[in-house]
Amino acid sequence: MLRNFEFLHPQFLWLLVLIPLLAVWYFLIRKNDSATLLVSSTKGFLTKPSIIVKLKPILPVLRIVSIALLIIALARPRIVSVSQHTKTNKGIDIVMAIDVSASMLARDLKPNRLEALKKVAAQFVNQRPNDRIGIVVYAGESFTQTPITSDKRIVQKTISELNWGELDGGTAIGMGLGSAVNRLKDSKAKSKVIILLTDGVNNTGFVDPKTATELAIGLGIKVYTIGLGTNGMASFPYAKDPRTGQLLFRNSPVEIDEALLKYIAKETSGKYFRATDNTKLKAIYNEINKLEKTEIEEFKYYNYQEDYRILVLLAGLLIFIEMLLKHTIFKSFI
Amino acid sequence: MDTKEILKKVRKIEIKTRRLSDHIFSGEYHSSFKGRGMTFSEVRQYQYGDDVRAIDWNVTARYNEPYVKVFEEERELTMMLMVDVSGSEFFGTTQQFKRDTITEIAATLAFSAIQNNDKVGLLLFSDEAELFIPPKKGKSHVLRIIRELIEFQPKSTKTNINEALKFLSSVMKKKAIVFVLSDFMDDHYEHTLKIVGRKHDVTGIRIFDKHDVEMPNLGVVPMLDAETGKTILVNTASKSVRKGYTAHYLKLVDYFEKSFNHSGAGTISSRIDESYVKKLLGYFKHKGAR
Repeated sequence: MLRNFEFLHPQFLWLLVLIPLLAVWYFLIRKNDSATLLVSSTKGFLTKPSIIVKLKPILPVLRIVSIALLIIALARPRIVSVSQHTKTNKGIDIVMAIDVSASMLARDLKPNRLEALKKVAAQFVNQRPNDRIGIVVYAGESFTQTPITSDKRIVQKTISELNWGELDGGTAIGMGLGSAVNRLKDSKAKSKVIILLTDGVNNTGFVDPKTATELAIGLGIKVYTIGLGTNGMASFPYAKDPRTGQLLFRNSPVEIDEALLKYIAKETSGKYFRATDNTKLKAIYNEINKLEKTEIEEFKYYNYQEDYRILVLLAGLLIFIEMLLKHTIFKSFI
Repeated sequence: MDTKEILKKVRKIEIKTRRLSDHIFSGEYHSSFKGRGMTFSEVRQYQYGDDVRAIDWNVTARYNEPYVKVFEEERELTMMLMVDVSGSEFFGTTQQFKRDTITEIAATLAFSAIQNNDKVGLLLFSDEAELFIPPKKGKSHVLRIIRELIEFQPKSTKTNINEALKFLSSVMKKKAIVFVLSDFMDDHYEHTLKIVGRKHDVTGIRIFDKHDVEMPNLGVVPMLDAETGKTILVNTASKSVRKGYTAHYLKLVDYFEKSFNHSGAGTISSRIDESYVKKLLGYFKHKGAR
């Protein structure tokens, strides 16, 4: 939601030029030709200075300030808040199946795979304002972090809080895919997409990736698969320092079951991508974003919060005070 | 003011004050300011009621009819009217300005003087001697004096009685009857007044407005000083401010009374909305009896 301060009729603000002119008129010109009372001698008054007399210039000041306020009110200051709403029922449902195994901490992407993914995924979510997105994480087992929802805030929060080590070790691609498919099975959206991200080989889990693929095919779900990891060697965590609790890294070869990922993508008429570094990962998400185009029906709601009332009220109050003072302590028969 | 208007005003004042001087003041004035003595002027036929002691027996014997001697007072007095024409005279909150009242009184005095065959001169002053008309006899001279009193436009708006008295003592070498007509919104003139009072017969006639004495509660008002031309903002709602105003005025009045009494001069104080006739009459009677 955007909040902007603006004037509806800023041309009226030019009237503020009058304010200094008014001040000059009040304090220099009018002072000399206002009505005075002629007396034989004012010497008798000079002995006792009065505070009230010194305060009298407050009256024109009050008036000038209230005129200035009225001019500003005339320009209609207001705060515009624009809220965009998009129709969600025309969007597609996306489930992001994200691998959170320990290998995601490998440092071939900067700062590590998981952090790089978080950043890119968050951007991706932002670019899909009218789609429902869910998040499934998996490692040795799978877990639905967020069911598909149009509440992007929750999705973003979930992404930023992704962490490794909450699930059993290993990489159960079949279970991750299965959970994702399960999430989409009741979806009524006309297009259903799973973005399956992994950095390893399916080595555990009681659901075979191929079975899950068949389920996806059965439900008409498109699966985009992303293999994350550089070519060759990468520094993987292999143990935890028992004293400090810090992870110890060493270089190991990167193993990705590209054949499986390609197979899944092909069978579900999706696409397989290989992300070897941060830019590549970003490019992949951009491409998926382009591939899954949805018709966007966007509504902009302009909410105007008019602020002139307070100014008019204030001006009225000042004028009232001026009148009050004029007829009480500054009362004069002239 | 064009000439026609001025003449009309002069005429008005003449009518008003002539009556006063003819019927009320003439005698009082005459006896207040005495001449040097009686001199024989003529003989005329005796009329019923004449004092038998005045019969001139030589002439009676010659004509075989009673004749009486007629004596005339020998007087060649000079009257000087010193009139304040400063800014503060153009103030008055009742029927007229102080200056109008002063003009009337001056005219009355001038006519009284003329009737008694005295010379009348005029000195208009502000903080300097603005206009000096040397003493002369004659009705037309008095009318000129009245005209000047009405139409004269002073150069300065301030008051300096001391300067005026100094000027007077430098021009008037012979003894004169001096009337100082002013509101006496001034001080520091006692010393010069004493010098003038030693030579001349001085009377101070003080004309004032009731709002010179007291300022009513008018709220916060910009006030223009008629003398200095400066405007100041005054909170007349404050009691202490009004008290200060009155106190300042009373101090000036006190100074006026004291300095004139110390100089052997008489004083008359008259408020614009009061009748000055009685005050003058009372003063002359008192002076005559002395």
